[in-house]
Amino acid sequence: MNLPINSSEAELIIPELIMLFGLVAIILIPNLGKANFRIPLTRIHVPVFIGGSRFKSTNNPKLPNQISLIIFISALFFGLIQNSYGAIGETLEVTQFSRLFSLIFIAALLLATIATTHRLPARVNVKPPNDNDSENISIKKIDALIDNRRQVDFHIILIMVGLGMSLMSMATHLFMLFVCIELASLSSYILVAFHKESKIGGEAGMKYFIVGSVASAVGIYGMSLLYLWSGDLSLDALAMKWSESESVDPLAGIAVGLMLVAFGFKVGAAPFHLAAPDAYSGASSPVAGLLATASKAMGFVALMRILVSVTMPIEGEAFWYTAIAVIAVVTMTWGNLAALTSSNPKRMLAYSSVSHAGYMLAGLAAIGSGLGSEEAIELVLTAIVFHLAVLVIFKFGAFLVLSLLETEGRSHRLEDLHGLARRDPLVAGSMFLFMLSLAGVPPLSGFLSKFLMINGIVNISAGTGSSDASSVIDWLTSVEPVFWLAFAIVINSALSMFYYLRIGLVMFFEEPEDSRTLKDAFSLRLAIVVCAILTVIVGIGPLSDWLLEMVAEAINSFVSN
Amino acid sequence: MGETKNEYRLLLPLLPFLAIVPYLALQGENTSTDFAWMIVVAPFIAFPIILITGQVYNKNETWKNTFKEGGILGLAALLVSLSTTIWIIYDYLLGSANIQNNDVTSWLEWISFDILQSDYTMAQNRVLGVGVWVDSLTLMLLFVATFLCFLICWFAIGYMTTDPINEDSNHRFFAEFVLFSLGMFGMVLADNFLWLFIFWEVMGLCSYLLIGFYYWKESAAYAAKKAFLTTRVGDVFLMVGLFILYDIYGSLDFAVVFDDPSTGIGGAVVDSGELFWALMMLFIGAVGKSAQFPLHVWLPDAMEGPTPVSALIHAATMVNAGLYLVARLMPFVDVHHHGVSGLEDFGLIVAWIGGITAFMAASIAFVQNDIKKVLAYSTMSQLAYIFTGLGSALYFLNIDEYYAGYFVLGASLFHLFNHAMAKGMLFMASGSVIHEVHHAHDHLHHGSDHGDHDFDPQDMRNMGGLASKLPITATAMMFGSMSIIGIPLIGGFWSKEGIIAKTWSAYFHGETLMLGPALLILATAGMTGFYMSRMWFMTFAGEPKSEVVDHVHESTPWIKEPLIILTVITAIGGFALAVLGIVDFLSNKSDNLSLHGQTLLDQIIYELEHAFLPEDMKLRLVGWVTIFLSFIVGPIMASRVHGGRLKEGEKANFLVGWLVNLSSKFGKQDVSWLAESQLSEALDKRLYFDDLYEGVLARTVIPFADFTAWFDRNIIDGIVKQIESKSVLGSFEIRKFTTGSARDYILMATVGALFIFVLLMGVSS
Repeated sequence: MNLPINSSEAELIIPELIMLFGLVAIILIPNLGKANFRIPLTRIHVPVFIGGSRFKSTNNPKLPNQISLIIFISALFFGLIQNSYGAIGETLEVTQFSRLFSLIFIAALLLATIATTHRLPARVNVKPPNDNDSENISIKKIDALIDNRRQVDFHIILIMVGLGMSLMSMATHLFMLFVCIELASLSSYILVAFHKESKIGGEAGMKYFIVGSVASAVGIYGMSLLYLWSGDLSLDALAMKWSESESVDPLAGIAVGLMLVAFGFKVGAAPFHLAAPDAYSGASSPVAGLLATASKAMGFVALMRILVSVTMPIEGEAFWYTAIAVIAVVTMTWGNLAALTSSNPKRMLAYSSVSHAGYMLAGLAAIGSGLGSEEAIELVLTAIVFHLAVLVIFKFGAFLVLSLLETEGRSHRLEDLHGLARRDPLVAGSMFLFMLSLAGVPPLSGFLSKFLMINGIVNISAGTGSSDASSVIDWLTSVEPVFWLAFAIVINSALSMFYYLRIGLVMFFEEPEDSRTLKDAFSLRLAIVVCAILTVIVGIGPLSDWLLEMVAEAINSFVSN
Repeated sequence: MGETKNEYRLLLPLLPFLAIVPYLALQGENTSTDFAWMIVVAPFIAFPIILITGQVYNKNETWKNTFKEGGILGLAALLVSLSTTIWIIYDYLLGSANIQNNDVTSWLEWISFDILQSDYTMAQNRVLGVGVWVDSLTLMLLFVATFLCFLICWFAIGYMTTDPINEDSNHRFFAEFVLFSLGMFGMVLADNFLWLFIFWEVMGLCSYLLIGFYYWKESAAYAAKKAFLTTRVGDVFLMVGLFILYDIYGSLDFAVVFDDPSTGIGGAVVDSGELFWALMMLFIGAVGKSAQFPLHVWLPDAMEGPTPVSALIHAATMVNAGLYLVARLMPFVDVHHHGVSGLEDFGLIVAWIGGITAFMAASIAFVQNDIKKVLAYSTMSQLAYIFTGLGSALYFLNIDEYYAGYFVLGASLFHLFNHAMAKGMLFMASGSVIHEVHHAHDHLHHGSDHGDHDFDPQDMRNMGGLASKLPITATAMMFGSMSIIGIPLIGGFWSKEGIIAKTWSAYFHGETLMLGPALLILATAGMTGFYMSRMWFMTFAGEPKSEVVDHVHESTPWIKEPLIILTVITAIGGFALAVLGIVDFLSNKSDNLSLHGQTLLDQIIYELEHAFLPEDMKLRLVGWVTIFLSFIVGPIMASRVHGGRLKEGEKANFLVGWLVNLSSKFGKQDVSWLAESQLSEALDKRLYFDDLYEGVLARTVIPFADFTAWFDRNIIDGIVKQIESKSVLGSFEIRKFTTGSARDYILMATVGALFIFVLLMGVSS
């Protein structure tokens, strides 16, 4: 039999294969049943197992969730132990860089699965409502039945998101890249609108889809222009062609500009981010966490491919430097300012992730300035990727806490967090840690990433200040504008302190509206605590070295490509 | 209360802790100083355990009854400290534990820092190490601290846990108590000035916490603040002193600094003027901590804390810290061993401060009616004696009269020992009196609030005739008072005599400026005799002055044992140690305690001769005047005013009864005319020092504070608030873009796309 890939290639993409076969399995397994096929004109019944009345084991509504957990855990495991790299066909290549991002995506999806166990609970013994039930009870029963029914749907889409993202990080061909992004994006639009019976969820999903599809359309248009210009969309060929041309071809420039719109939407850069807060607050918290971490990382992979691998000149300023720098500053300031008065924790986190996108764009802009040495550029890239990696820990951690709150009621008002410390000190303490880490307080991991970023940018700009400046003012006027990117990050961090700490304030010092203890969602709690511990030990402990080393290797493989 | 049941079974958990040190010692290969860290670490471990367990198991019956809300745990930790100390002392006396140059302990080497030097270069990697410094001074203070902390903790278990006002908050007390203790232990053991200062501050913090233990009482909160701020004034000076020292020697390690105090960093000759200011700054720090004039105002107020705290601060630990620091400074002035000459003035200043404080405190003590306040002023006065002695020692050492210098140094430190033991006991005894009187009062007015507010269980005017009710307390207090007064042959006599004699001999040596301190402390000797006797007679002799007295019983468990132990030590310890040559030992002149090759009898006769019949006729005169004033004049005057027989039918034990009867033999004298005089009022108002300070502060610091508060509120906060309100405004504006309509979002994206093109084209064209 002629397989599309040979076994040595298959070894490279075990996590993706697990997800692919998992996708099939999760469709098939819950449908296994006692179905028979009667051979026509005979009385012989051949069992075919698909359909019919289902077995007791496959009838369990918790099954899809469990399969999904197994898939992601085993994908994460095989991704972690894998250490062989190479190309698969024409359009995919497994490198340390792609492997690291696969792990980031899978980790985020695993957390989303765990959170969904409790956010979208499956109940085994739900009976349909009967005539004696009051209206309230029958509504609840129907809701529970609906939740049971759509377990499979949710997890199928979740795995598709994972597959799309993971393949996307390996793509070496722009077309492949786009297809994978669309696979992940379209799935995530469905996830946002998954709670369609609530008005806000459906509306948010629709808006996100409309704006997202416009952005994608613009991006694909840009891609087609690029094809027109180069005739080959593989990244290597594009880079070759780009370095050959002496000045920027207008066609190629416009093409890259259009693609920036598409990827800008993915990372949530201003002014393409506007649908994001609506989407986050409309989606359930696990999905919002996915958007804020994995989806964002996906956008950055694409941006890095286009901006750093393809269009970055060997020396001198990249033509997109000013645009990205301005977008970075506008994005971080817009995000922070808007978060300042947001009273909805999910919107607040959405704006916060907008501002974080701004910080990382500032890093990209600093690279584009063309002033940095090779080491300085690698340092900034390391900072960006490290930040994307640790975001999964603490940003998703915060969304996990919100998920826990959502299992009982709502989490879209600040009042829902009031007095959380009294209701559940462990969860509130973890949430506070996540907030501090988002704000970049040492020694947490959020500090380390922000520190690396600022350090990298200052490093790039440091040599540019006039060395015989006798006062600070003199030096500041002589330094390259890229220094001010670091300055903008610092000022914005100070501004962001306010809304992060406000979460701590209301959790610890306000009276709870309702003093019941939170639901005993064991696996979710465990995930929250693990995230909190990781937030600390990736900031200061030996794990920080381990992760930094891994990121540095990834960047090495990315740059040498 | 009347809990007579035997509670000693609660001590059983202590046995393993008692076994730790003997086990280590009998291993054979261990040297005691390698385990000196246990002295500090044991309380340090106990501190969080007590605090957290206390919070978690608050109100739990086992925690309350078996662990005494943490008291037993504290006792266990202090037992480890005490036994380790005794092990080190044992080794030291055998000659194997004298450590004055301990290596930096490696586990703290990661605390390193770069220092900007005066020529703007960086000195790399100064390591903040920690080590121990063991000499006779360390050992004496360590013994005093560990021994008294242990006994006071024992006492506190009885005192604190039977008082309903402390219900469920004793874990806080015991946790702070052990933290305080470890501050003292660490300070004494530290092998450099920096760690000394760090532990010094730990004590400062704990004194604040403990004095303000009853923080809901306004007076206690005020007293805590006052103590903290007053000592803080001293601490700032101390810190400045350390900076100057570092500037001179380039290090704060004892080993470096004391190796050759006359040579500074890089072999430079040390300027005596600069060193003088360093020493003065350190001395001001000591003055604050030891409550000497003019930073003495906090100590009487500090009596607001629970009585065990008073015993802890005023006998065992904090006030001794200042004395320890000054005694540590001796090598700087010891010209016989590389000291820096030309620092006699420093010694004179120390002696004068001591003399003034001694006299002033003694005179204020005349009119105090609160039993603890009398003891507080007595503490100030006695510490001042030691300062005067240290001042003379500094003086003698600096003019190369090192024999006299070492002698008075030894005598001063010996007085510190005697005073600590006696005063620790006196405070505990006063605590016993207060506790029992309070219980008797509660018992009498059981079930009614009436009368509780105007009754003060500390007021001696509510006592009298307690000798027969509280036999052990009365005996303990009798010996304690005698030791403080300096009744011949008992405790403090041996050391006080030496201090007074040597201060005078400094005057006879030709230093006319020493006459002042010499006269002041001589007069104070007589005054001490009066006020200590007055306190004892007012409390224990005469007819009862209130109905409460009839109901007093000595019944609380845990309180008697420390009193008995300390009574024995006070009564014979001073004499025994004097015979064994403690004075030479403490001044580092001899390495161990022994009879110096003589028979016991010879040595006793030698010491007695030395004390009563010195060869110098002038000193003999001074000695006898001292004895006359303190032994005859003071006590007899006090007994004429406050003495008297007990009520009919009451019988006290032999010693106490004899003293009570004796007090009635001198007749009665009415001094009410004196009590109404202006002098008395001035003394009652503490010579207006508090008013003066408050007046000065109100005119200087408070307007300045008002100004900075205004500046902070309007300028600094104003700017921050402006930024905040502008940001909030901007936030509202910018959020208007998020309209909620997908059409607008796409419009914005289009604008953004055009914007990107403008920027891209602008650059590339």
